[in-house]
Amino acid sequence: MAQTLEVDVAVIGAGPAGMAAAARAKEAGASRVLLIERQEQLGGLLHQCIHNGFGLFYFGEDLTGPEYAHRFAERVMDLGVEVMLETMVTRLSPEREITAVSKEGVFRIRAKSVVLAMGCRERTRDQVQIPGSRPAGIFTAGTAQRMVNVEGLLPGRRIVILGSGDVGMIMARRLLLEGAEVLAVVEILPYVGGLIRNEVQCLHDFQVPLFLEHTVTKVHGERRVEAVTIARVDRSTREPLPGTERTIECDTLLLSVGLIPENELSRMAGVLLDPLTGGAVVDESRQSSVPGIFAGGNVLHVHDLVDNVSSEAEIAGEGAARFAQGIEEGGEGIAIRPGEGIRYVVPQRIRGRQPVTLYLRVKDMAEGVRVRVGDIWERKFRVVKPSEMLKVELSTDELSRIEGRELLVELER
Amino acid sequence: MKEERIICIGCPMGCRVTLEVDERGEVVGFKGNRCKEGKEYVLEEYRNPVRVLTTTLPVEGGGTLPVRTDRPIPKGKMREGVRALAKLRVRPPVSLGDVILEDLLGTGANVVATAALRERR
Repeated sequence: MAQTLEVDVAVIGAGPAGMAAAARAKEAGASRVLLIERQEQLGGLLHQCIHNGFGLFYFGEDLTGPEYAHRFAERVMDLGVEVMLETMVTRLSPEREITAVSKEGVFRIRAKSVVLAMGCRERTRDQVQIPGSRPAGIFTAGTAQRMVNVEGLLPGRRIVILGSGDVGMIMARRLLLEGAEVLAVVEILPYVGGLIRNEVQCLHDFQVPLFLEHTVTKVHGERRVEAVTIARVDRSTREPLPGTERTIECDTLLLSVGLIPENELSRMAGVLLDPLTGGAVVDESRQSSVPGIFAGGNVLHVHDLVDNVSSEAEIAGEGAARFAQGIEEGGEGIAIRPGEGIRYVVPQRIRGRQPVTLYLRVKDMAEGVRVRVGDIWERKFRVVKPSEMLKVELSTDELSRIEGRELLVELER
Repeated sequence: MKEERIICIGCPMGCRVTLEVDERGEVVGFKGNRCKEGKEYVLEEYRNPVRVLTTTLPVEGGGTLPVRTDRPIPKGKMREGVRALAKLRVRPPVSLGDVILEDLLGTGANVVATAALRERR
């Protein structure tokens, strides 16, 4: 066993969150910042996201994924962040001792603070329970994206996509441009799961048939997918309606049915998770229930824009730098809880009185509603959708008006 | 009088705007938009819908290079644009921003690399 490495801030994962967190930690005064990545380059998933639309908020420019990654990779290198590539973290203790493995073997890292930035993974067929055989030709949308954009392979020629998440819609356009046929995008909800921009530019632009309030009820084929059966679902129960089935001949089924924060290491370290987000319960500096362990980006909650991932991870990086320098926010603080109509709120706790941005998602689409934060903040929204994250900025003045130990965030119709 | 339907993508509202267009193609009326910015977007989307084209090119010796047009091109030229690029093979090294093809289909847009490729040994 090699010797133990001692660092101030260790960041696990060098996707958009990890790069932003590491850069910010260094800028905030941490002297030794270590960024650990299992792939052979910085950037994570951004390398396979070759489409544009990144950076509109963060840089005020319309960048592609690889360009966005490049900007942050340069910042990380310029700041003197230490980078370990092709290194996988296998263990994290509550005392912030990291076990990692690389070509050189297994080694330990002791960090004054840790930022979790492992991102998320895609929900798979088992998790959405589609009956039928187990032929080849079923991929998650992200796997197909990697095949096309990184490996230069076409996963199939006649494609059906289940779910209308952003990656699914983007892959519909991508596969069409590469010469495949996209026969259907099938969405169980009455509206698409991703951004309106993607609905228009990926589906409408190319006349991709969109089946709302439908689902895939069966996969046909023994060795390779030969067809799928889709059916309309009941609006309230979302169960398939008998007699509405139709079968579409295809050779490929892509799944774009949601993302799950990747929290195996967090659990190992005893970090308390929020069942609503699938990520850690954090305060406004993105510190988890375990002192010195912070989290930011999609490992904390799934974002719809990478710009928000970067901004949030910077908060975590700054918090981690302060912790490593012995600056600690004390006190229990105030619990932020989702009330009527709200699916989740991050952060789940506020300790200080510095301005805070709450990130929240609603449960259902609604028009002409008010979002209310306790009795300190409220605003009217023309429309809210689960797919579009809402941001609520609370000022020091508003925070000082909080009475009690709990703040309820609610949707008022 | 003719009607054109366009979904505004300016914000999550996704307003479904109906444009009334006269015989000369001039927009004479709006229905369904809820803000001024949306009106401007919809007008532009009606007169000259454009998109940035992104795709990948095969690299000699294996792998891909992601590329984009350095400015938006007419929406109707997306497929043709990808076809025009289909025969290109890229030879490393390539720097981010290198022009791979000038003036794609006469649109005035250059196709540029969005990532770097190191020289192969």
